[in-house]
Amino acid sequence: MDVRTELQHSWIITVKEFRQLSRKKALMVPLFLFPIIMIIFFGYGMGGTVKDAPILIVNDDTGTASNSLIQHIGSYTGKYGGEPMFSITYTKDMSQSKAESKIDAGWYKAVLLIPPDYSEKLAKNESVTLILLTDSSDTTTTGIIVNYMKQLFSERGSVSLNVPNIYGDLEYLDFLTPAVIALTIFMGSVATTGSAIAGEKQDGTIVRILMTPVSRRAVILGKTIYQLILQLIRAAILIMAAYFLVGFHMNGSWLLVALVLVIFTLGGVGMGIVMSTRVNDMESFFQLNMLVTLPSMFITGVFFPLSSVPDWMRYIAYLLPLTYANDAMRTIMIKGQGLSAISTDLIILSLFALITFTAGVHLFRREA
Amino acid sequence: METIIEVKDLVKVFHSRGRKITAVNDVSFDVFKGEIFGMIGPNGAGKSTIFSMLTTLIKPTNGSIKVAGFDADKEDDKIRPIIGIVPQKLSLYPDLTARENLELMGKLYSVPKKLMEERIDHYLQLVGLGSHADRFAGGFSGGMKQRLSVICAVLHDPQIIFWDEPSTGLDPQTRQAIWKLARKFNGEGKTLVFTTHYMEEADNLCDRVAVMNLGKMVALDTPENLKERSGSTNLEEVFIHLTGEEVRD
Repeated sequence: MDVRTELQHSWIITVKEFRQLSRKKALMVPLFLFPIIMIIFFGYGMGGTVKDAPILIVNDDTGTASNSLIQHIGSYTGKYGGEPMFSITYTKDMSQSKAESKIDAGWYKAVLLIPPDYSEKLAKNESVTLILLTDSSDTTTTGIIVNYMKQLFSERGSVSLNVPNIYGDLEYLDFLTPAVIALTIFMGSVATTGSAIAGEKQDGTIVRILMTPVSRRAVILGKTIYQLILQLIRAAILIMAAYFLVGFHMNGSWLLVALVLVIFTLGGVGMGIVMSTRVNDMESFFQLNMLVTLPSMFITGVFFPLSSVPDWMRYIAYLLPLTYANDAMRTIMIKGQGLSAISTDLIILSLFALITFTAGVHLFRREA
Repeated sequence: METIIEVKDLVKVFHSRGRKITAVNDVSFDVFKGEIFGMIGPNGAGKSTIFSMLTTLIKPTNGSIKVAGFDADKEDDKIRPIIGIVPQKLSLYPDLTARENLELMGKLYSVPKKLMEERIDHYLQLVGLGSHADRFAGGFSGGMKQRLSVICAVLHDPQIIFWDEPSTGLDPQTRQAIWKLARKFNGEGKTLVFTTHYMEEADNLCDRVAVMNLGKMVALDTPENLKERSGSTNLEEVFIHLTGEEVRD
């Protein structure tokens, strides 16, 4: 069969999927409204604690006051005790812009710059200002760090803290939105692809389609095109809702956001197909779907930073693709970073898409 | 008579949880062009498996199938456009209208738009669904769904129609209507291949009947010859005689 006919067949399947979706009014509401509701509800008042947050201290002071300050920061364990809140790296002679680039690269959650005359001014009781740079794309962690530092310096009288907003004035909502978009696309693409195929298996329609001259490849391509269009529309609606309803800030490239979402959707579609080949009806699919996608929702740092979860949970998170999609989306949308900053995330997400999609196509072709 | 389907030494083995199940065991037969050919047999006889292999949905483990001269294993893409299939599950999209279901099938079989629209109107009238064309198929009765399912299978004017359990669960009126439709298609020169549980259906409709039991073909002849050979007055007695009285799972 020639490519043109294959593509025509794929498009017929895509149109059929959209037509079916338009008839399912009850599905349309949660499909588009659920993520918006999630952002509004979670966007206000999420808290948390931090441990082992990587901090860089650029100490250009040679006096004793700065040593005592560093010791104090290094040994701080938070009000509930346990492990230290910060994991500190020391250096000196680093410019502010260089320090900012370390945060951009994701190496540190904060950089504290201690000026050369810190101990001297403190001894003379003169006012002295320290600069605290923070990774404000992770609003929860940096909020806790800034509060701690402000409290620490308020005890030291003449010391003041300058906290420049290197990514603008961000709130928890800005931290949440990119990840909720990734989560929505992940859960949406897995669930709608898988449940559609499981439903078609249940009522026999997929067998009828596979008995026509349409190749299995064209069926999968048609469903994938449908998912890509649907999920990008959902993401666009979600971003607009976040912008107009709750004042979300977008600092990065829309094109990169679309690239991440397209790759991630392909992975989600592949995963949905794989899961649908393991079940024979929709009810079984939804049970399986809960088992597979729900942990991702809570472990991968959608609602709270990974730096605030126990190590075992963080290790599991690193095995889940949503973790990398969240990171890529936040790096683009909040930090305004380019392709090189998300290259690792993109490689992992592409591998996820390649593996699940290949497995999905293989299992789908073998099954019938 | 011209042969349109050739089945030779057909074997299908499934593997399930470490067990080997031979669903079809060394079956050979021919179907002639223009005839109505029926396959009857108790549950687990292998009818549906043969049906799936003839319609290119699954591949044989051994043996060969030729449909209109094309090898089902290697040339399934040439077979699919010339066959029409009415599956046992009626396989209609419930959230598409009758017309949309038909259009979908017509497009997937690459029927030219104008011709497709003419045929849709013609067939909807023929099966009495003309006034229901724009209703969702999900709201149809079993009989209406069966009639719609049948015309979904013939929209591209196939040479052969495969029909799995045509009248299961239908009332006598709808069954009669379906049989009438089958005879009409056969009268137009189409070859029909049925599987059925109803002996009356096989007796009334089929030119020849293959009796399947436990994956093997135990008889193949006209209904009259089958009855004569076993000294029975109806096909049900022949069926019980050939396949036994044991209830199958």
